[in-house]
Amino acid sequence: MFSLLRRSVQARAVATTVALSTVLLVALGWFLSFSIGNGLFEERLQQVLAESEVAVLDVQNTFAAATVSDEIALQTLMNSVVPKLEATEVADTRRVALLRTPGQSGVQLLQSPISSGLDTALISPSFRAEVRLSEGRLLYQSIQLTKTTDGITTTSPGLVVGSPIQIPLAGAHELYLVFDLSSDQQTLTFVQQTLFAGGLAIIFIIGGVAYLVTGWIVRPVKIAAEVSEEIADGALDVRLLEKGEDAVSSLARSFNRMADSLQQQITKLASVSKMQQRFVSDVSHELRTPLTTIKLAGDLIFEGRENLDPSLKRSAEIMQGQIERFEVLLNDLLEISRFDAGAVRPELEIHDLNQVATSAIASIDPLASKRGSSIEAQLPAGEVLAEFDYRRIERLLRNLLANAIEHGEGKPIQVTVGQNEDSVAVKVTDNGVGMSETELARVFDRFWRADPARKRTTGGTGLGLAISLEDTLLHGGALDVWARPNAGASFRLTLPKVQGGTISASPLTLPGEGEK
Amino acid sequence: MTPKILVVDDDNALREMVGIVLTAAGFTPTYCPDGNQALAIFEAEQPDLVLLDVMLPGQSGIDVCKGIRAISGTPIIMLTAKSETNDVVLGLEAGADDYMVKPFEPSELTARIKARLRPITSSEARVTIGPLVLDVEGHQVLRDGQPVSLTPLEFNLLLTLAQKPNQVFTRELLLEQVWGYQYKADTRLVNVHVQRLRSKIETDPDNPTIIKTVRGIGYRAG
Repeated sequence: MFSLLRRSVQARAVATTVALSTVLLVALGWFLSFSIGNGLFEERLQQVLAESEVAVLDVQNTFAAATVSDEIALQTLMNSVVPKLEATEVADTRRVALLRTPGQSGVQLLQSPISSGLDTALISPSFRAEVRLSEGRLLYQSIQLTKTTDGITTTSPGLVVGSPIQIPLAGAHELYLVFDLSSDQQTLTFVQQTLFAGGLAIIFIIGGVAYLVTGWIVRPVKIAAEVSEEIADGALDVRLLEKGEDAVSSLARSFNRMADSLQQQITKLASVSKMQQRFVSDVSHELRTPLTTIKLAGDLIFEGRENLDPSLKRSAEIMQGQIERFEVLLNDLLEISRFDAGAVRPELEIHDLNQVATSAIASIDPLASKRGSSIEAQLPAGEVLAEFDYRRIERLLRNLLANAIEHGEGKPIQVTVGQNEDSVAVKVTDNGVGMSETELARVFDRFWRADPARKRTTGGTGLGLAISLEDTLLHGGALDVWARPNAGASFRLTLPKVQGGTISASPLTLPGEGEK
Repeated sequence: MTPKILVVDDDNALREMVGIVLTAAGFTPTYCPDGNQALAIFEAEQPDLVLLDVMLPGQSGIDVCKGIRAISGTPIIMLTAKSETNDVVLGLEAGADDYMVKPFEPSELTARIKARLRPITSSEARVTIGPLVLDVEGHQVLRDGQPVSLTPLEFNLLLTLAQKPNQVFTRELLLEQVWGYQYKADTRLVNVHVQRLRSKIETDPDNPTIIKTVRGIGYRAG
């Protein structure tokens, strides 16, 4: 619920509108119900008082006009008063009590007539005391009437109106009229129920309207967000619908203009980059035929160098070496252009990394001994199996080894192989010149060399590490490097055991990671 | 009589240089500068082997290769500047026996040519495999007495497999014994030629009975 409110502007707007209108409607409803209740009561009270006045006057006149001389006649007269004043309609019952004022001298000889069903306890002694002192004015009091029908007790509001009456011979009496206001209560309840139902309906309607209206406003924004997502995912030609002249369509127009401009830029960049890749690839291929001729010719001259005078002989040797270097460079360039064109597909099979490392070390060993570096291999027992392209990973290891020999200053080089449950790794560490932080950041850049002033001795092309990184990424692996100036460098290749698998952590640690 | 090699390449310098290398290695080169004349020159010269550039003006090397295969089993070695593209597979499927990626070493070139020209020998004069009879002396394969037309390379491949029926040959071993490679090479060579061979000798090439594939290892005969 809260997350919905956080995520959706529309939900928030609707919730706020509904909450505010609920508060307002509750206040309004309470006020209305209060005033209607009050109004109903006042009106009824006036009516009750008017009726009572007529009744009291009538009773007083009855007694004043009567010429009764004996108690029996008086009792009969008194008894006749009550039914005369009673009203017994279900909705508007009126009960009557003619009570003798207590505390008078003389014995009460006559019975006080009381309507049936009237509980005189409803007429409180304090009210009676007030009535006695009222000097003929009508007094009233609100009371609760309880009614029991079919075992269910209900209460309804009522009014009791009282007035003192002098009855000849019988002394001071009080006339009480008890009115049942349940019909007015019913009217009020009905009004309140109507108000409640109406209020509830209005809140729902307001919620619905708020939902619709915010929907109209939010929807274009939502669509714009979706279209942005699509464009970000590469569907560059998706656009918003431009319709009308309002702010929303102006948003759509601006958005589309932005998308057009982006698309143009991206297409332009992509075509430039494609042209460049194509160019590198074409150049590399075009260079191959003349290089073949040069190589064949150079080889013939090199083979016959013993017959040449010393300077020509040396020239032939130098040329031979440089033709080889040129060829390696051309192959590396071609390889890079293949990566750039995304045309590289690895030939994946299950191989033993131990075996690849051994083979790479064996192939580079002549170079290492020439430079005085010894290569120490620490291979775990058994097989270290993983799915990879043998040729590429062996080439990658040869690259790392050649790099280590190049910068290793003739010191020992360590090769370590390791594995854990989901990945395999091989680490090549030298103890040579190392690299600074800034150099480290550029180590995989194409044609970048740690120290341009240093002489090149092993004939690397400057593309070796760039290709190594591409090969690593091709396998979904990681190629990490650690180096410190004059403390050597360590390159670590980590590959998932199964292609498409994940690497939780490399089985081997780099020196930098150990320091943590 | 030294073996005659037809060099089909549009690059004058390379063509001449290859000629020099071939002459130095004891071959007699003849030349063709484009694809359109290639077949005519081939028929006129009757070379012992063809070196064929894939990218040729006029008819492409692939078409020339198909044209030659239609009339002759003469060994063809393709020269290509691209090792990774379909060119290689297309060339092999068109009937080339072998291919070389530019730039190549002269020694490598002559070694490959020599491997292709080496006479096929066997201790036995006749080898029988399934319904086929291989006449080693006559370089002929007979099925029910009817000759089946195979190129020398295909004959050699079949003979190598048939001489040791039921022995599994890895692709690497076949590359060494049939193609004369001394080091790891492209195993697509083997796959493509086994397919071509099957299409000629098997009654149903999709369900081979003579040359069977041993999954993950290689092939065996019988």
